[in-house]
Amino acid sequence: MCVGISLAWSELPTELIGRYGLERRLHERGGEREVRFLYRDRQPRLPVWRNGRLQVVRWGNGGRQSRFLPATGWTWQETVDQGYWRTVGAVRVEIPATLGYDRGVWFRIRQGVRGILVPDERGIAVAYMICVPSTHYYQVMTRSPRMPLLIDERI
Amino acid sequence: MVLSMSTDGRATAIGHLDADCFYVSAERVRDEFLIGKPVGVLGNQGACVIAKSYEMKAQGVRTGEPIWDAMAKCPDGIYIKRDFRWYEELSRMMLDLMRDASRQVEYYSIDEFFFRAEPGRGETFEGLAASLRDRIQERVGVPVTVGIARTRTLAKLISDASKPHGARAVLEPAAEEELLAGLPVTEITGIAGRRAERLSAWGITTCLHLARADRALVRRLLTASGEALWWEINGDPVQAIQCRRPAHKTLSRGGSLGESTDDPVILYGWLVRNVERLIEELRYHQVAAGRIKVIVLYKTGHSGLGQRSLAVPSDRFDVLLEAARPCLRQAWMRGATASHMHLIADGLAPRGQAALAYFDPPGRRLRAEAVADVKERINVKVGRFAVRSAATLYLPAIYADAANSYDICDVRDKMCF
Repeated sequence: MCVGISLAWSELPTELIGRYGLERRLHERGGEREVRFLYRDRQPRLPVWRNGRLQVVRWGNGGRQSRFLPATGWTWQETVDQGYWRTVGAVRVEIPATLGYDRGVWFRIRQGVRGILVPDERGIAVAYMICVPSTHYYQVMTRSPRMPLLIDERI
Repeated sequence: MVLSMSTDGRATAIGHLDADCFYVSAERVRDEFLIGKPVGVLGNQGACVIAKSYEMKAQGVRTGEPIWDAMAKCPDGIYIKRDFRWYEELSRMMLDLMRDASRQVEYYSIDEFFFRAEPGRGETFEGLAASLRDRIQERVGVPVTVGIARTRTLAKLISDASKPHGARAVLEPAAEEELLAGLPVTEITGIAGRRAERLSAWGITTCLHLARADRALVRRLLTASGEALWWEINGDPVQAIQCRRPAHKTLSRGGSLGESTDDPVILYGWLVRNVERLIEELRYHQVAAGRIKVIVLYKTGHSGLGQRSLAVPSDRFDVLLEAARPCLRQAWMRGATASHMHLIADGLAPRGQAALAYFDPPGRRLRAEAVADVKERINVKVGRFAVRSAATLYLPAIYADAANSYDICDVRDKMCF
């Protein structure tokens, strides 16, 4: 299961960094700064593109802030395709990412990951990462049976 | 200093050009984000690091290491799936540039070339090495190291010692001696393990020790191939640059099974896949196999071997599979978990020149050849493995991933693997 993503610092607007206090999520790799969004964070967040705007929203419902949303951060593509989420007002979004993180392995993501954005009972936007069964290669690489649904990319 | 002369009177030497962490550099050519970061390229199944950047190497990660060990040493490492088609593309670009720069070029491996080094008027060997290095970097985007010396063994030692991004020519005996004194004998390609142990018993541990050793002793310890290395490190070129690959004595296909298995049906699927890949290679080289060997490696460390000679050399699917099947049965150990399989064809004979088999009815032969032709034409047009044996349906995950349809051994005409 992809439990984190990373986005190059240079890809985030300064305004967004300030508004969401992303400095706390800052790391350095190979001399370059990046922002990490990990599900294990006390306040898990994900960046999403919605209506041409980049936003940082709550990642899933692991803290059970909502009583009706599933207490997880992921959803199967099959569930989305079957229309389960449509009834609760979910929309498809793109989660920009330069790297993904799964069971200790950082892997390159060229464009991003597909996700959904759904309002909870208080109208707060919550993002879920869409996942699919792992390909053979991904499964060997990460030992994970699930992988994120990548945009126009296959690992 | 004794240097060779070309027919037009110019001094010539031998050069060795080697790409620096090639697979990683190739990935960086198309993805600048990876520059300066610890990067590991993973092998066919995604389990092992087959190439690593210098940043990852600095953290202690070694080539061939399983990813879970590499992760522990380098938690910030970025792992990339291999793409041999892309690596070959860049390799061929480098080869073309080398052929423009030299009259004799050997395509040694996907990222290594030997070449005849002939500096232009007023140019030094050192200058030639630097200009080749810079030209490859500028045109292809891949950093390389170039070494130039009197022999190919010395040239390779120099480029290995000058990595990364070095350009060096060592042609004076005194400079050669200094270089050899600082290098362990195992730095010479062809000396490792048992050979190094044999030399060590005689106090030969550095390249200079080997160069100064008695030639007859070296021959006794390392046979004629070791003696050739002795001549080479003493500056006598005995190993020529081979501009064309000599004909293969054997052809093989196979490797890791990805997920280890004890299921004979899965093993049979792999056998059929390897037979189909081997036939492609036989047909490309226009040879037929006289003998088939199947080797299966097991997780216990044991291996099984089955082999069978063919009545008549063949490249036909039905004939080779019929021969390979009992070989697998011979190599198979019930209940043992297999991790690798290799299918080897030897006793190669030119295609179409073998006598017809007595028990091979002409009708059957013509039908099989017609099917093979159609299969080949469709696969060339539509894509590799578009038409394949139904037995390979036991390996859905392997065929679902297009990256599995092109392997390092599919990069043809290079001298070594």
